[in-house]
Amino acid sequence: MPATVESGSAVKNSLFNPSGWRSLLIFTVLALTCIAGFSSRLFAVIRFESIIHEFDPWFNYRSTAYMVKHGFYNFLNWFDERAWYPLGRIVGGTVYPGLMVTSGSIHYVLSLLNIHVHIRDICVFLAPIFSGLTALSTYFLTKELWTPGAGLFAASFICIVPGYISRSVAGSYDNEGIAIFALMFTYYLWVKSVKTGSLFWAASTALSYFYMVSAWGGYVFIINLIPLHVFVLLVLGRYSARLYTAYSTFYILGTILSMQIPFVGFQPVRTSEHMAAAGVFALINAVALLKFLQSYMTKAEFRHFVLIGSSVAAGTVFVAVVGLTYAGIIAPWSGRFYSLWDTGYAKIHIPIIASVSEHQPTTWFSFFFDLHILAAVFPVGIWYCIKNINDERVFIVLYAVSATYFAGVMVRLMLTLTPVVCVLSAIGFSQLFELYLRDDESDKNKESGVDSEDENSDEHNHKMYDKVCGFIFHEYFFFLRQPGKLRKMKHEKLKDGTGGGAAGSLGVNLRSIVVVAMLMMLMMFAVHCTWVTSNAYSSPSIVLATYSNEGSRYILDDFREAYFWLSQNTAEDATIMSWWDYGYQIAGMGNRTTLVDNNTWNNSHIALVGKAMSSNESAAYDIMMNLGVDYVLVIFGGAIGYSGDDINKFLWMVRIAEGEHPKDIREADYFTERGEFRIDAEGSPTLLNCLMYKLSYYKFAEMPGDYRSPRGYDRTRNAVIGNPDISLTYLEEAYTTEHWLVRIYRFVLVLNFLSTLSLTVVENYFSVKKEEDFNRPEILRSDVQLKLPRVSSKKVSLGYATMKRKKGSIKNRPVVVKGKRPAVRTVKA
Amino acid sequence: MARGILVLFLFICGVSAQNLVVKNAGRKVELNLVYSHLLVPYPSKIVQNQPQLVKYSGNAYPFLPYEVVSAKTVVTLSSNNIESYTKVKPVSVTDTSITYGPYENLPAFSEEEITVHYENNAPFLTVASLKRWIEISHWGGNIAVEEDVDVLHTGARLKGAFSRHEYQRGQSGPSSVASYRTFLPAAASSIYYRDDIGNISTSRTKILEDTVEVELTPRFPLFGGWKTKYKIGYNVPSYEYLYSRGDNFILQMRFIDHIFDEMVVDSAEVSVLLPEGAEDVEIVFPEYPGIEKKADSIFKTYLDTTGRKVITATKKNIVENHIQDFQVKYRLPSWRLIFEPLLIVVACYLMFLVIVIYVRLDFSISKDEAVEARMKAAGVLENVLSTQEKRDAIYTSLDAAIHTLKSSKDVNGFQSALKNINADHKNLAQSLGDQVSRLRSLGVPDLADKILDLQKLDKTLKDIVGQQVSLAERLVGNKIAKGNYVTEDATLGKKREELLERIHSIIGSL
Repeated sequence: MPATVESGSAVKNSLFNPSGWRSLLIFTVLALTCIAGFSSRLFAVIRFESIIHEFDPWFNYRSTAYMVKHGFYNFLNWFDERAWYPLGRIVGGTVYPGLMVTSGSIHYVLSLLNIHVHIRDICVFLAPIFSGLTALSTYFLTKELWTPGAGLFAASFICIVPGYISRSVAGSYDNEGIAIFALMFTYYLWVKSVKTGSLFWAASTALSYFYMVSAWGGYVFIINLIPLHVFVLLVLGRYSARLYTAYSTFYILGTILSMQIPFVGFQPVRTSEHMAAAGVFALINAVALLKFLQSYMTKAEFRHFVLIGSSVAAGTVFVAVVGLTYAGIIAPWSGRFYSLWDTGYAKIHIPIIASVSEHQPTTWFSFFFDLHILAAVFPVGIWYCIKNINDERVFIVLYAVSATYFAGVMVRLMLTLTPVVCVLSAIGFSQLFELYLRDDESDKNKESGVDSEDENSDEHNHKMYDKVCGFIFHEYFFFLRQPGKLRKMKHEKLKDGTGGGAAGSLGVNLRSIVVVAMLMMLMMFAVHCTWVTSNAYSSPSIVLATYSNEGSRYILDDFREAYFWLSQNTAEDATIMSWWDYGYQIAGMGNRTTLVDNNTWNNSHIALVGKAMSSNESAAYDIMMNLGVDYVLVIFGGAIGYSGDDINKFLWMVRIAEGEHPKDIREADYFTERGEFRIDAEGSPTLLNCLMYKLSYYKFAEMPGDYRSPRGYDRTRNAVIGNPDISLTYLEEAYTTEHWLVRIYRFVLVLNFLSTLSLTVVENYFSVKKEEDFNRPEILRSDVQLKLPRVSSKKVSLGYATMKRKKGSIKNRPVVVKGKRPAVRTVKA
Repeated sequence: MARGILVLFLFICGVSAQNLVVKNAGRKVELNLVYSHLLVPYPSKIVQNQPQLVKYSGNAYPFLPYEVVSAKTVVTLSSNNIESYTKVKPVSVTDTSITYGPYENLPAFSEEEITVHYENNAPFLTVASLKRWIEISHWGGNIAVEEDVDVLHTGARLKGAFSRHEYQRGQSGPSSVASYRTFLPAAASSIYYRDDIGNISTSRTKILEDTVEVELTPRFPLFGGWKTKYKIGYNVPSYEYLYSRGDNFILQMRFIDHIFDEMVVDSAEVSVLLPEGAEDVEIVFPEYPGIEKKADSIFKTYLDTTGRKVITATKKNIVENHIQDFQVKYRLPSWRLIFEPLLIVVACYLMFLVIVIYVRLDFSISKDEAVEARMKAAGVLENVLSTQEKRDAIYTSLDAAIHTLKSSKDVNGFQSALKNINADHKNLAQSLGDQVSRLRSLGVPDLADKILDLQKLDKTLKDIVGQQVSLAERLVGNKIAKGNYVTEDATLGKKREELLERIHSIIGSL
């Protein structure tokens, strides 16, 4: 008998231990959040397949595959001769390797365990897995800032909020996928180190920051926000030894660590974007010194000393920074940085930045679309934080304010705003429910049997919501609510009057109405998130699906058709000219050399391609000859009504070409006299005869239209093309995909041109038997003397203030863009 | 005859040969020879809408080591469009065939070269390389097959432009290949068709009675000289191909399977991945020459420790007639089956063990007094709670004892049980007293006070229960009326309930 007694009691004990319940609930909620976050990102995989999406992820995937194959050091030294022909690209030095290293090490560990997973699948599922980690770090951050209950709210918000999902669906293998985790984790550790003043936490912050630096250019946001936090704390008179330890450890370690990334190099000490951190570091040391001196001086002496000392110090620092900038040791602000303050700046000076749709200012619509109810609730969270201010809440308020501004300037920066919105609205919701979910009885019976009452009230709630909301949502909420409530009991005991009084005065009906309304809103939020994820953010964009009237699905796989054709049926070293959007995909899927790609580091090279596309065929011939082009690839959506095609992006090509070659290309030439961009018979003759137009519409007019539309009817632009009889002299159609979406042309050497070449070329041309590469253009590129255009090889200033990987060069001389603003923009995902 | 050359010799030997035929008696021997890559596209390059012309070069006479009395050569063509042919008289042309002969009395090894130049738009597809990977799983009862296929169009090469417009009108590219059919085993399931950049969405599967027909459409139509590559894989249940007796197994399946009709495979590599621990491996290849066995290798996959044996063999120049079975015999001890689950069990056990050790032991290098005291207090509290639970259980067992007493009237047995219970209770009270002093020494006097209260309450409870016991004894000894007993017992029970409630509220507040 004693034995049974013992075992029975042990079980009972652990079951009725409230702290055990609490951690079990927290664990369950967080596990569910991770699962929900992971699974809601799988729409694309389930609908299509496990595939890398869009544009940039293809480059990341390609470099990851390279690293897995050739090892980390070879990856760092990788000179990619397949990109930016004939310049090439030093990949190891121009890439944030964190993403590749992360998936590469996962692959390595799995292969050590004999688990063979294709590196592509690891890349595809990396972002969903990291969304779970992001939810965890958001939970910890919110827990530090407010309560564990609010933390659970925040975790469940961030796992499904569209603003974050947009960058982290399965297959969207991009830096942001892991960087948001790194960002939140760094902030959590920073808050923790400010709270504890412990060297351990500060060093951890620096390490996490190092991971962030290795992963995303957005690290600049951290290295400016944390100093801002420190600065504001100093101004508020909240200096403490904890703060000093935390910041100086973080800054020194973080700076040294971040300089280990080849792409970052000496920037942390040489560019203006990083100077704020250095300045604050100097400032906090000065403050620490003053505090120290204060104990040795009288009050009057001290005031005198501070006045003189600070003005001298400030002057020296200012002069030093200006002087160093002038001397060229510290780089001035980059163009991208300016475009953060003046939204019109990029359009005038850096058309290549302006041509990317995600660099446009945000509309109010996307705030709602990406955040839904959270956008409305998060000011409540800010208000609560300001009302009960402490060191770490200052931080979250600063984060909220700065991120809101940046998100307003650029659609893309919505991503950095999203986590803070989740945190703050979680605080808002948590406070609200604490107020409204209190039971009368629990107030009365506060002294005796708190726990049993607590459970009763939850039981009661359970029944009530069951009627209103669905069971699942209720269960979800039940889990969410529980820890918060337990926390509240303590909280309530601490400061009795405040919350209790307000809630006590509310009637039961009013409370249930508010609670039910809030729950409905949260439910709508979940529905909205799922809908947005499923409809807006889960398209791989390289596989298109259309649905017929009966609902059956039809897949348009033209992109892969073309890229695979390139990889199989062109010479190994063939060079493909296309607009830069498709560079990464051609290299990733077609494995062929491209002239320009999504890295956009060399504006003049891109302008040259733009010029070739916007010139007439013979002028384009010269450029292509000089660049050693073998094939030209254009995207044409007119046959099926695909709107993201090259004709719709064409004006940006013209604009970028005009920026570099204002004598040859004038944007105004491509408009009609009334300033319209038309492709039909009334379009401008320059447009109707330029290379892009010809390549897009070659033989299109012969294609029989359906019974509703005439021949040569462009379904994207709803017009009959203006130049139906297109003949090509220097190019021939090499391949066109099934739906005409991708058209590839082969560059043909014209014989009369040979006279301008040296004799050896001609000899080689006729003597060398080209059995193997019968399909390649009939010219030996190695023998052609490349008259390369002057391409600026000078590294353009590197700007990271705006968290982007790409750099644009700024022209010294502003180029005024003439003509009407086009209705269409380059779609760049 | 479209692709390969099937040469059919039908001859009656009229001469003596030592072993083959009996003198002067006729014997009919049929000889099938299949040649690959014998038809040469001529011209070797054509534009898109040109028909494909090929040249056949061969011998007008049967090339035999015997004297031939009478011979006839019939060249069957795929179309009636014949550009030219060598005229070795007598020769006659019907619709799609050219007949040479009959020739009389030819000497041994007689040769007369003929060429036939004619239109042939059959798909000249060649599998440049084929990698076939067969993976046996005893656990899943499954055999997974994957084929890596590199396809090349070896017909006349496409010259100049490819026009999608012309192609879509359907009048051009007669020799191009848009799709072809592959026949998989009838039991094939979870079929996939993909390449390096993902799934190829253009394929259709039709389940026929004795086969699964897959219509494979490459990403792009194949014109002369164009190539593509893909992977096709499927699963078949192992009971269809794996036979066993005891620990001995025989895998019997096709060495090469169908890829497309009249296929030509330039080089093939077949690998069989045996289960981990397979011993005494023996292979029986199909009975045609040219199969070359490579060295065995080791492949490690999920939960493998020593790795699985991979048997690889290669063969060059394969046609449809080579589709034949091969056998792999091996022995797999039955304990091998539980090896892998055991591995998981052990791994989980070790993991939990490590966690248990980590949680139970203190690995910190510095001592935190406050935390330690708190933890100790929590431990003591745990003890208190369990003691209290035990005490509750004692009361329950006491109740049970009273109940048996009332029904069995066994006073002696009850007395001994009571003695035991009392001793237990005393021990528990004693240990609780110890806990109080420990709590005091740990510096949490308020908790200690609570436990003292608990002790006091328990004492009262014990008294009440004692009264209940004596009541019951009196009842059994007939010293009290049943009615009285019931009422008194009820009042005592009520008191007991109240006390228990108070005790539990204290427990709850701990």
